[in-house]
Amino acid sequence: MKPILKAINVQKVFGVKGNVYKALEDINLEIQEGEFVGIMGPSGAGKSTLLNILSTIDVPSSGDIIIDDQNIIQMTEEQLSDFRRNKLGFIFQDYNLLDTLTVKENIVLPLALSKVPAKEIEERVNVVADTFGIGEILDKYPYHISGGQKQRTAASRAIVANPSLILADEPTGALDSKSATDLLESLSSLNDKNKSTIMMVTHDVYAASFAKRVLFIKDGRIFTEIHKGQMSRKEFFRTILDILASLGGSDHDVI
Amino acid sequence: MTLFSIARKTIRQNFSNYFLYFASMIFSIVIYFVFVSLKYDQTIQATSDTSPKINSVFSGAAVVLIIFVAVFIWYSNSFFTRKRKKEVGLYSLLGVRKKQIGRMLFYENFIMGCLALIVGILLGSVLSKFFVTILMKIMGYNAIVNFTISLEAIINTIIVFMIITLITSFHGYRLIYRFKLIELFQADKEGEQEPRTSFIIALLSILLIGIGYWLALQNMLDSAIWRKIGFLVTPLIIIITVILGTYLLFSSLTVYLLKVSRKNKKKYWNGINLIGTSQLLFRIKGNARTLTIIAVLSATTLTAVGAAYSLYYNNRSNVEMADPSSMMFIAEDNNIAEQVNGMITNSKDHDLIYHEALSTLQVDADVTNLNSKFYSDEMIYTVVSNRDFNTIAKLQGRNDVLSLQSNEAAVLDAMYSEQMSPVYVGATISLKINDRKENVTFNHLKKYSIFNYRTAGTTIVVSDELFAGLAKEIQPENMLLYKITNEDNAEQLTKDVQAIMPDEARFSSFYADYAAGLESSGLLIFMGGFLGLVFLTATGSIIYFKQLTEANSDKERYEILHKIGVNKKEIRLVIAKQMAFIFGLPLIAGIAHCAVALTALSRLLQINLVIPVMICMGVYTCIYIAYYFLTVNAYYKTVTKTK
Repeated sequence: MKPILKAINVQKVFGVKGNVYKALEDINLEIQEGEFVGIMGPSGAGKSTLLNILSTIDVPSSGDIIIDDQNIIQMTEEQLSDFRRNKLGFIFQDYNLLDTLTVKENIVLPLALSKVPAKEIEERVNVVADTFGIGEILDKYPYHISGGQKQRTAASRAIVANPSLILADEPTGALDSKSATDLLESLSSLNDKNKSTIMMVTHDVYAASFAKRVLFIKDGRIFTEIHKGQMSRKEFFRTILDILASLGGSDHDVI
Repeated sequence: MTLFSIARKTIRQNFSNYFLYFASMIFSIVIYFVFVSLKYDQTIQATSDTSPKINSVFSGAAVVLIIFVAVFIWYSNSFFTRKRKKEVGLYSLLGVRKKQIGRMLFYENFIMGCLALIVGILLGSVLSKFFVTILMKIMGYNAIVNFTISLEAIINTIIVFMIITLITSFHGYRLIYRFKLIELFQADKEGEQEPRTSFIIALLSILLIGIGYWLALQNMLDSAIWRKIGFLVTPLIIIITVILGTYLLFSSLTVYLLKVSRKNKKKYWNGINLIGTSQLLFRIKGNARTLTIIAVLSATTLTAVGAAYSLYYNNRSNVEMADPSSMMFIAEDNNIAEQVNGMITNSKDHDLIYHEALSTLQVDADVTNLNSKFYSDEMIYTVVSNRDFNTIAKLQGRNDVLSLQSNEAAVLDAMYSEQMSPVYVGATISLKINDRKENVTFNHLKKYSIFNYRTAGTTIVVSDELFAGLAKEIQPENMLLYKITNEDNAEQLTKDVQAIMPDEARFSSFYADYAAGLESSGLLIFMGGFLGLVFLTATGSIIYFKQLTEANSDKERYEILHKIGVNKKEIRLVIAKQMAFIFGLPLIAGIAHCAVALTALSRLLQINLVIPVMICMGVYTCIYIAYYFLTVNAYYKTVTKTK
């Protein structure tokens, strides 16, 4: 297995001289191809900052980030856009679907931007739609479908271009438990079958228990990490809960 | 802290946000003030004594301006209240009473109105001097402008804008009462639906415009349709069909075409086309009303300015047609002729190019055979001999020689028009000479004359022998023709010559007609240009405001695009393409409508409008394009600005 993502000594400082706030301090992490990594931590721990930096939307104050053997720190704005388009897939808490496009067109968008031929687009969209079970609603507009369907559409869009890394930011945050489970199971099977690499930021223990490895962040540093290994999902769930308790935070976040 | 001071503070701190609103108010005030002070200006008042046209044109235009300016200020005011809904909601959430918020908004708008009024009048005072100079220049007056700002103009402007400001301020006061708190926070969040359209309505739009165009391009005078529907109703039908057609064109046909274009997946699923087309599809229907207004305004402006400019542009050639000689009159005794000769030789500014005296006849004629719709059966013609015609035509630089035999004749009609004038060639008319009649047959038609129209009217050339015969029976008149250099500047000379002319001399001069033409067409073009500029600026600003409103609600969409890897260049391209559509559609429609209207007009008036109208359209399009770039830039900045 080769590493897909490497973060080396990443720091992020906000504010000006005399009044600085360190959001991230000395983050080092590595994600291997085919992994499903969860990132947890209490509110304000720096999860979102980390995700924004890894997804190239924000830049770190210092440190290096290497994704698929490319150092994204030295890239220009245009290269970054192309990089996001070709190497990364995003799933956001609030879906971020374009409401002027149908479900199908939303999924088509990344492929169209990469100028993939129409015929190939058609095939790939159909395959992805089957994976997430949204074949029925392809011609509907986002405002006509449920939150769960929206998130599955967003997930379809994220993986349709075969990205090296899928980044999910609280993907279940706005979903009811049934939709959340469906989505997490889809992601999990995607990881198992297609060997997709997934990194998911969440503060929902249930969602995190679907990952194979969970990193805990506190006050801008990586606090600890645990592997699922041979544990069942339930056991893993409990382990995560224990660590969170020792982290001294978010018990109230548990479902 | 009083409400008044909060309001003052809000304006001061958000001034950049308010700048556009403030600027458009100042713009409106400056325009109106300049206009009114022109109206009350002494120089112009003095001029309007001689031509009452000026006064009525000014008053009419002022009313149009007030309506327009009021609408424009209202529009920009709604744009700004819309932007501030959230802020107002926040005040309410913090527990400020509705009445207090209302009063605060009222004060705020009122302060801005007053400030704009002061700035506008100051700026207007400077600019009106400039405009008076321009007006005088294009109207061909050389009067030295002694321009002063009149008190009436200031009072008039203050009253008009105080009323407008009070109304908009009251509108602001009502804002907090008109919406629920939750609505204030969700200003731009209303979900949009994919617009529906039908093929039939799309087709109907083309049909309606087609009917309008077809009617407009009919020959008004002998079209059966026009006669059937009526000369007053037809133009109304044309206007209604074209406006309705334009609206449907924007609201249906474009939507329909965009939907069809989506079917071509190869093109549609290609990069940013996907985003651009779908955004347009959702937006264009909501914009249809604005686009229609802009198309119609553009068409009206262009037509009015085009027509006015054509008159101005064609003034010289029209006058040259009507007055081939600089001066012409009938003189029985040589006394007057000698005086005039003396005046011309004495004047320093002018040299004599030619001077001719020839004898002509005034003859009554029975013209029943011409079957003219407009002439009565009798006409008075000036008759000139073939030899004299050849001499004068040569003097006037025309390469035209007639050689008429016996009862052949040629008609010289400088006012000839295909539609109005009779068919001369081949027709026979009979000249009444005392008790007998002499038939002559036209075998030539010249669409110019060698004589000034006002002295000689329509002229007939007859063969030398016929002329000699007629001259024995009718008392000839002695016509004098002068051509001088610098004829368009001959104000003093013309005045002097005119002074010694008796009425029966039927004196006509190039200068008098040229100056009159300049005066009326110059005024028209000034009014047209002035109002055109106002309309253009206002329509440009309306699209600008509207698009920026949309940019604000589209922000989120562009953030998503940025996240999934659309680079800034592509975002700019998407915006530029959409704006090209929004700006291009009404411009093209406006130019097309205007082209049809002016084609109809030029057919009716028999004048060639192509060059002046092209110039107008060119200038209009250039300013419009400037607005386009401004809007694309502002839109781009709005959607890419990170929080």
